[in-house]
Amino acid sequence: MDRFKLRKAEPKDVPDILRLIKELAKYEDMEDQVILTEKDLLEDGFGDHPFYHCIVAEVPSEKQSNNSPVVIGFAMYYFTYDPWIGKLLYLEDFFVMEEYRGFGIGSEILKLLSHTAVKTRCSSMHFIVAEGNQASIEFYKRRGAADLSLEEGWRLFKIDKSSLLKMSSGPKE
Amino acid sequence: MHFKVRAAAKEDCKEISRMIMELAVYENMPDQVKTSHEDLERDGFSPNPFYECLVAEVPDEHKTKDGHCLAGRSTCGHVSVSGQRQPASSSLCVGGQDTLGSSTRQVKRLKCCPNDGYTVVGYALYFYTYSTWKGRSVYMEDLYVMPDFRGKGIGTGLMAKVAQVGVEKQCVRLQFSVLEWNKPSLDFYIAKGAEDLTAKEGWHFLRFHGQSLDTLAKEAPKD
Repeated sequence: MDRFKLRKAEPKDVPDILRLIKELAKYEDMEDQVILTEKDLLEDGFGDHPFYHCIVAEVPSEKQSNNSPVVIGFAMYYFTYDPWIGKLLYLEDFFVMEEYRGFGIGSEILKLLSHTAVKTRCSSMHFIVAEGNQASIEFYKRRGAADLSLEEGWRLFKIDKSSLLKMSSGPKE
Repeated sequence: MHFKVRAAAKEDCKEISRMIMELAVYENMPDQVKTSHEDLERDGFSPNPFYECLVAEVPDEHKTKDGHCLAGRSTCGHVSVSGQRQPASSSLCVGGQDTLGSSTRQVKRLKCCPNDGYTVVGYALYFYTYSTWKGRSVYMEDLYVMPDFRGKGIGTGLMAKVAQVGVEKQCVRLQFSVLEWNKPSLDFYIAKGAEDLTAKEGWHFLRFHGQSLDTLAKEAPKD
């Protein structure tokens, strides 16, 4: 597979990005949790205040006679902040379609993300992985990633919208 | 105790930096703090800020009495030219020249501590993230209240304001992380409806940092 290309996502890629988001959610057994729509992705990624950045991987299509490219992988990231070390690059989603794995596409995406992190003065690249996803954990650890949940004891928490609404309308001081 | 939560201003960065260090000491990781208040000013108050911050203030009559600069240091002193540390006192806090008895010595200002106590006693630092499943989210990176001011609703007040900002920005959830041994914080958050996703869904935090990040970056395809 020597004919793949990595590039910045454009608004026209939104349907493909959503398709791949759903495929990744299915891989993680959580397909029914995707409530995002193409309209959300377009507004949130390509509007006045982008909430994310995206890289796509494309290959020439074998099914189309003109070989126009098909998007077969993506990585979504944004910038976060650690008060101890400053700017970070946070990798939210990273996925290559099953039939295109094993060709080095994922590795190249990760290298491009790391280069972006260093170029934009980020100290670190962070992400989360489900502990059941051993294939991904091994992929990252082989490349030098550290598991902060194991090494330092960090646990991820969330508060959902209903509790947020309750908190934000609580008694004033 | 009456307190006020407000958006941090650039001028608050020195106080925020002080409290960041106090929180790092509490988490047993003070040597990991590399940012200065100048970094916070640049990264939070430029046209493209990387975080937002709220501070909690108490009125002057409730301010701290001791004027500690950094957690763990018991005096904030100035060092004379001869290298002898002098105790902190209001007469030395102006820096420049110091007259002691009949001699006048140049006194180097070591750290400028306010002569009176602090009124900014807590902060919450957060930013916006994105979930490909659910959309806009807010991530609370730090929530801290100085020990003497805990148990008075200040932490709850700060967090409620972060929640309010998140709801106004149409965020669907608030996320944050807690160290597994930090029982007071775990109890605080669970009482507010927080769910432990590491326990429930097995999520682990991973990172590429320092050497591992540089190594990967060097192998990236050229632009």
